[in-house]
Amino acid sequence: MARGGGNRSRLLLVLLLVSSLFLITLDLRGVNLAGSIRSGVTTVFSSIEGFFSKVFSPIGNFTSDVRNFGQSKSRITELEKEVDLLKSQKVLDEDVVGQLNQLKQVLDLAGRGEYRVVAARVINRGSTATFKQTITIDAGSSDGISKNMTVISEAGLVGVVKSVTSNSSIVLLMSDPTFKIGVRIAGTQSIGVVSGQGGNKYLLQLLDATGEIKVGDNLVARGSQNGSPFVPGVPVGTVSSVQSNASSITQNADVEGASNLERIGVVAVVVSNPKQDPRDALVPKPSPTVTVYVTPSPSPSASK
Amino acid sequence: MSRIRVLNTSLFLLVVFVIQETIVSRVNFPINGFSLYLAALIIILSLEERSGALVFGFIGGLIMDISATAENPLGQWALALTIVGYLFSVNKESIGDFTDTPLMFLIFISVTSALSLFIFVVLGAMLGQDNGSFSHIFSIVFANSLWTFLIMPLFLPLVIKVRRALMSNRERV
Repeated sequence: MARGGGNRSRLLLVLLLVSSLFLITLDLRGVNLAGSIRSGVTTVFSSIEGFFSKVFSPIGNFTSDVRNFGQSKSRITELEKEVDLLKSQKVLDEDVVGQLNQLKQVLDLAGRGEYRVVAARVINRGSTATFKQTITIDAGSSDGISKNMTVISEAGLVGVVKSVTSNSSIVLLMSDPTFKIGVRIAGTQSIGVVSGQGGNKYLLQLLDATGEIKVGDNLVARGSQNGSPFVPGVPVGTVSSVQSNASSITQNADVEGASNLERIGVVAVVVSNPKQDPRDALVPKPSPTVTVYVTPSPSPSASK
Repeated sequence: MSRIRVLNTSLFLLVVFVIQETIVSRVNFPINGFSLYLAALIIILSLEERSGALVFGFIGGLIMDISATAENPLGQWALALTIVGYLFSVNKESIGDFTDTPLMFLIFISVTSALSLFIFVVLGAMLGQDNGSFSHIFSIVFANSLWTFLIMPLFLPLVIKVRRALMSNRERV
C-alpha cells in the first residue's frame, strides 16, 4: 500500500469490500434490490435496444454467417439450386421478408399445436459478463407475457421467459448450460432430460434404462404441470449421435437443436396451455421422396 | 481525486455500459462475446492512482451488477472488481511498465479482463452459482481476451483521451 496515506487506502478497501459483501448478503437474504434495479434498467434499455436492433441487425447477421460457415459448406451445392430459384423472385426488403417468413412459420407451428401465442422480435442478446445465454424480446407483461412461459421459434423450442418488464422480456436460451427440459422420444414413451451445453449441441440423458435411442430420433417436450415452464409437444431437437458407454446407468446421446439460436429474429411466447397434448403432431415430417422405376426397352440389335 | 472527477468518470463508464448492452452485445462474435465495458474499465483502473483504482473498481462493478441480463447477486461484480482494483493499487509501479508501450498495454488489458472474469466465476462458485462447465467458461474467458486484444487498439486511444479530458487541470500536471 502507499507509504503516504496507506491507512486511508486500507480503510477505503475495507469499506468497499464490506459494502460489496453487504449488497451480496442483502440480495441472497431475499431483499429484491437487484430485481427492481435491473427491471428499471431493462425498461430504459428496451427502447434504446429496439432502435439499435434495426440499425445493427445486418452486422449481427453477418457475424453469425461467418460463424456458421463451416457447417454451411456441405449445403452449398443444395443451396446453389435454391439460389437460382430465389434470383427470379423480386425481393423488396430481405430483412422484413425474412422476419415475416419466420413469423408465419412460428404462427404455423403454434397453430398446429393449438398454442395461444404472442409473437415478438429479438432485440438483444445477453452480454459476456453475465455468463448466461439470453435474448431480449420486444414484448412484455403488457402483451400478456409472464415469467416461466415457453418461447418457440418456427422450428421448435427456443427457451423460457426468465424475467418480464412492461414492454420487454428476457428469455433464457435452451443452449445455456443451466437449462434442462424433460423430453420424450417422438413415437415412443421413452423419456429423458435434455440439457444445454453452451452451443447448438445438447445432451440427452434417457431415464428409461430399457429404452432405445437411434440417430434421427425426434425429441419433443414432455410438458410441465399447467404448462409452466414448458408446454407439451414442442420439438426440442434430433438425436445426432448415440454415446455407447456400458458403465453408464443412463443412456446418453448428442442432440442437435431444432431451432438455430444464432439466427432467430422472430419468436413466439406461448401464453396459454393447449387444451390437449399435441403429442407428435409438431414433429417435422420427412419430405416425401419420388422413386422412379425404369424398365430398359430391348435394343434393336438384340432383336436381330 | 476530486468528487467531480468521480462523478464524471462514473458517467463515462455508464455511457460505455449502455453502448456495451445495446450495441456490442448484439454482435455474434465467433467463439464467444466481447466486453468493451470491461476493457474500458481496466484501462481506467490501470491509469488511476491507488485509491482511484479501488473506487472505480467498485463503481464499475456496481454498474456491471445492474445489467438487465445478469442473474448474479447485486454486489458480486463490485466485489470482484474491487479485488482487481486492489491488485492494481498494490502493484502500481509494476503496472506502469505495461502501460508505457501500446502492445504491452493491450496484452495487459486482455490478460486482466480474463483475470476479472475468472475472479467473478470463483466468487460465483463460492456463492453456489452454476456458470456451466469448465470448457464453457474457458471459451467465454478466452474469446473475451482474444477480442479485447484484437478490437481494443481501435478504442484504447479514445478511452485514454476521454479519461484525460475528465481530469482537472491540476490532476493533469
